[in-house]
Amino acid sequence: MEPSTRSKAIMEFLKPRVGARVKSWLEICTKCGQCADTCHFYLAADRDPKMIPAAKVKYLSEIIRRKGEVDDEFIQKAYDCIYHECNMCRRCTQFCPFGINIADMIALTRALLFSQGVCPEALRSAIKNYHETGNQMGVSEEDWLDTLTWCEEEMESEIVGLKIPVDKVGAEIMYTINAREAKFYPQDIQEVAKIMHVAGASWTVPSKRGWDDTNLSMFVGDLKTSRTLVENTFARATELGAKKVAITE
Amino acid sequence: MDVLALAEGPLLWISLGVFAVGLVTRAALFLVESREKDKIFWQHFKWKWVLATMAKWLVPANRTVAKDPVFCALAYAFHFCLIVAPIWCLPHIIYWETSRLAWSFTALPDGLADWMTLAVLAIAVYLLIRRLSSPDLRYLSTASDYVLLVITALPFLTAYLSVHQSLGTGNLLGDNMQLIHILTGELMLVVVPFTKLSHAVLFFFSRAATAVEFGRREYSI
Repeated sequence: MEPSTRSKAIMEFLKPRVGARVKSWLEICTKCGQCADTCHFYLAADRDPKMIPAAKVKYLSEIIRRKGEVDDEFIQKAYDCIYHECNMCRRCTQFCPFGINIADMIALTRALLFSQGVCPEALRSAIKNYHETGNQMGVSEEDWLDTLTWCEEEMESEIVGLKIPVDKVGAEIMYTINAREAKFYPQDIQEVAKIMHVAGASWTVPSKRGWDDTNLSMFVGDLKTSRTLVENTFARATELGAKKVAITE
Repeated sequence: MDVLALAEGPLLWISLGVFAVGLVTRAALFLVESREKDKIFWQHFKWKWVLATMAKWLVPANRTVAKDPVFCALAYAFHFCLIVAPIWCLPHIIYWETSRLAWSFTALPDGLADWMTLAVLAIAVYLLIRRLSSPDLRYLSTASDYVLLVITALPFLTAYLSVHQSLGTGNLLGDNMQLIHILTGELMLVVVPFTKLSHAVLFFFSRAATAVEFGRREYSI
């Protein structure tokens, strides 16, 4: 992309998102270093100063300082840091005398890069799947129902009368899974069904969008998709009149 | 008007004004901008979290103290002396008494004010050595981190030298130490609102913001 076009897009993205908190945090950090040994990346990298949480926000502050005028090499460096050297656990913030929320600023940098089309490929394809099918693995509704059916049939030989109730209105618990289970680990669905059956729980599984409880779009800062996914689950629970939504382990 | 009169008069009022108005403006700007852009903060705002975080961090009652007691003890002592000594030392009170405002209040004993000044200086030296000797802090630090430490320490160094006339008389530095003290003090006041020293007020806002965020998630604040 043309650098000038990009800088304009970057600043337009940042303008409504860099508020009083972020500006203050970037300014008041006294570089006291108390966050360093709270970070598992820092400790695991033999105390590499590059891994100090306070050092990792330099990409965001540089982008703001340069008014978005950054080249591909800089974007790549920022990408490596915010995806591979911080998992936004917020432990550093718990020890920062000012309570500077570094994870928030890393999340903002991830969202900024995503807005410029930069994010890990696996997450990009998961987000595409969310949009097309409502779940991260791209499982169609037909396949999902088929999986539930054969899971149920297979277990009937083990436990008499075991059912996986689909779209049962009025059930107390609406159970949701990680879409990987439907694709690769259906035995996990079976195990839960056994527990629910033995416990005598009133439960159900939704057939429509909302049955995948993962929210991988959150990791790239794609809050619009994140919101849609949560709304899907709540919409199914409301339709079915479920009192609780249970999510897989 | 000689330089001392200038430093004691207009320059002092200007620097106090920049300091006070600057910090109030920083606070006001934070509130205005956060209302617009940090809605999540105001939507979840609760005084109980804000007060709890202040109670933990304004005094040494937090987990960072447990992690690094030496640094924290010195950092708290540094801030305590840095704020208390200049406000309650006798020469400054005399200045208020003889000013148009004619304010008067009880002063710290001279000896105590002296010790507090020396404590600020000793801890400033510790902070400088710490910053220079740790590979982590050298990596993090920029020029301003060093310059601001010096700017912060200079009024205390010159206060001590001025009160005790340590450099004697009959030389340029010794004869003008009071003037240098006033000027360095004014320099420090002026830079506070525009640098990381603005944490003098932004500390409260930053802590409050995180307390609200962590409070609603039931994390430790």
